[in-house]
Amino acid sequence: MHVVTNRLQLTLAILKPDCMACPHIISEIRRLIMNNGFLFVQTKVVKLSRPDAEEFYRIHEDKFFYNRLVTFMSSGPIGVHILARDDAINKWRKLLGPTRVLRTIFDEPDSIRGRFGLTDTRNCAHGSDSEETAKKEIEFFFPGFNINKWKDDVGQFLRENGKVTFDEKLCEHVPER
Amino acid sequence: MHFSHLKIVAGIGKTGKLFVPLVNIMALAGKLCLLCQLNHKYSKTVHRFSSTWKKRLIKQEEIKETVYQFTVENATKLNERIYVWGFAATGALGIKSYLRPQKKQQPISCMNRPAQLKFFDSNRMKVNFFLYFFFFSFFPFFFFPFFLFFLFLFSFFFFSFFSFFFFSFFSFFLFSFFSFFLFSFFSFFLSFFNFFFYYFLFYLFLFSLFFLFIFFLFLSFFLVQNVACGYGFTLFLANHKGSQEVLGTGINTDSQVGYHPVDHKSERYLNYIIEPAKIDLPLLHPSKTKVLSMDGGRAHTVLLTDTEGVFSFGNNAYGQCGRSIIENEKYSGNATIHKIKELPDDVIEVICGQDHTLFLTKTGTVYSCGLGSDGQTGLGHYQSIGQASQVKGAIEGEKIVQIACSGDCVLALSDKGDVFGWGNSEYNQLALITDHTQVNVPKNIPISASCGKIIKVASGGSICGFLNESGEVFTWGYGILGLGPNVQATTTPTKLPSPLFGANEIDVGKKVVNLKCGVYHFAAITNHGDLYMWGKNKFGNLGFAHHKDQFFPWRVSVPSEVLDVWCGVDHTVARCLPFS
Repeated sequence: MHVVTNRLQLTLAILKPDCMACPHIISEIRRLIMNNGFLFVQTKVVKLSRPDAEEFYRIHEDKFFYNRLVTFMSSGPIGVHILARDDAINKWRKLLGPTRVLRTIFDEPDSIRGRFGLTDTRNCAHGSDSEETAKKEIEFFFPGFNINKWKDDVGQFLRENGKVTFDEKLCEHVPER
Repeated sequence: MHFSHLKIVAGIGKTGKLFVPLVNIMALAGKLCLLCQLNHKYSKTVHRFSSTWKKRLIKQEEIKETVYQFTVENATKLNERIYVWGFAATGALGIKSYLRPQKKQQPISCMNRPAQLKFFDSNRMKVNFFLYFFFFSFFPFFFFPFFLFFLFLFSFFFFSFFSFFFFSFFSFFLFSFFSFFLFSFFSFFLSFFNFFFYYFLFYLFLFSLFFLFIFFLFLSFFLVQNVACGYGFTLFLANHKGSQEVLGTGINTDSQVGYHPVDHKSERYLNYIIEPAKIDLPLLHPSKTKVLSMDGGRAHTVLLTDTEGVFSFGNNAYGQCGRSIIENEKYSGNATIHKIKELPDDVIEVICGQDHTLFLTKTGTVYSCGLGSDGQTGLGHYQSIGQASQVKGAIEGEKIVQIACSGDCVLALSDKGDVFGWGNSEYNQLALITDHTQVNVPKNIPISASCGKIIKVASGGSICGFLNESGEVFTWGYGILGLGPNVQATTTPTKLPSPLFGANEIDVGKKVVNLKCGVYHFAAITNHGDLYMWGKNKFGNLGFAHHKDQFFPWRVSVPSEVLDVWCGVDHTVARCLPFS
């Protein structure tokens, strides 16, 4: 897989409970992620408790949809992925499409949310909006994951044209050493 | 008897109805032998020496004599049909060959035109049931013949003395004459006792029996069938050998289509049901209890029975099943079927939103449970609640007759034609009553009197609509409202021109009689049985054989008369009657 390694960026992608209930949508989104040149760095399936979800969406606390979002996010298992690519944050958000699904189905019907989103809150997936938030969110879900260490370690490996393979079971890309 | 004839008769028995065995029956009777044109006395010897010739001759004659009826079975009866279209990859369409194709077939993930669901025909099931309330609305009529019969018996004793003395000779001659032709034996017997009154009662009794017969015929034609569409799954109510069965098909990751383990030993469960499968309900009297209403939400199912209450199963993360929320409950392979006990006995309809449930009673009160984060439960708060409680606010004291909800915005219609709304208003669906994006208490929507008396309301994700008495459709909200070639946003109900639904100068009587709403699209049925759809064409769920959005009402080419339609999120089911 070709990865422009100099500007390798990490982002956090979350598949929300509505999407996790439909295996056909999960596999389709994973396929889309792979086809768009992302690497799955880390994957796990967790269920957020309500306080955790409140903590995660602290920035939206003032918004009217805060309660709705928190209720929804803590309602079922979510799939959390760290994705790597050059310009990953913007590319992943572009692939996702705008947040408000009921508008997105008309504005960007080919995006992930336009195709699989249901309503504004049940909008399939989440993506970090900046490098700073991505760092924070990755730390939230993967406390043991060191971004700099990963960049030094695997980034170096990729720069030396090392090959990675996709592990179906883990849903992660594993370096072939 | 000719040996070859026997063989043909056996053939008829094997292959069944397709042959017309008239000739063979005649041959059996010994009147005619078409096969060999020979005298039967010689047949045995002929057989021995010319077996191949005989076989060939029999074959030829079989071909000549068999008459194939190419018309389908039950063609004369007006059997109802189910048509399905939309997203097929979840199995919600119930057609197995789309996902498990036979040889030389390709799997189909999106069916963008109506396809007939033959499952119920091939399994000799009727997706129908008698409407319970219809029966009781004719309650006095139903018992009329029995009443007369008793009157007839008792009157015999009461009037026998009088009439015997007064009318004995006269009526004997008069009525024995007439009655001989009509009911020779019975009336002659009666005329012997010569009671004019009995004649009257007796004929009345017969007439009422006749009416009763007509009434039952009537009932069997006026069948109300029930289908419910959720997000990627469909439920059917079917009659199988006289008993009622609930069948489900589609996505089953939260057990919304019932408990379906792969086998008894392993802990694996079927995530997708691709053909209607029976759902076992924990009923006390499975043969007697009837399911009156059912609906499916995003991942839960609610069923209403006539005597045993309301049952729910599937996802309960927000309490939408009417039971308390259990933290970290696993919904896949969950065999729990909950009976909701907080409800009154006279619930007549259940309506599921995406993640909440509404119950409508006969007296017009509304109960709700489930996700309330947009206020869609109407209980005055924004919390999720797992206990069904009565919705108050402006609908208190009103008799609600219909509730529409397929997204997070709820519309309710009272018997006076007033519309009430609560829930999500992010796209100005409820802009007439509030500036906020969420309403947690029912409020009366002031719709101008020029819109006429409203008979049906419909509500989707960001779109709303209603239908008035004269068959005019009004829509508002955000999205494809059917008013033009753009995505629109209006806050007040706007009328759609009725020529869009086929009404014109030649065809004046055409009007819309039913309006339904999916999350992103509308469906309207006219009194001629035409189905019109418009809106977002997600996975071909509008049935136009393409995937482009439809910006104004357009007729779906269903090759039958559409009686009712159910809109899921990405699939549609229609109940149809063949053109007679």
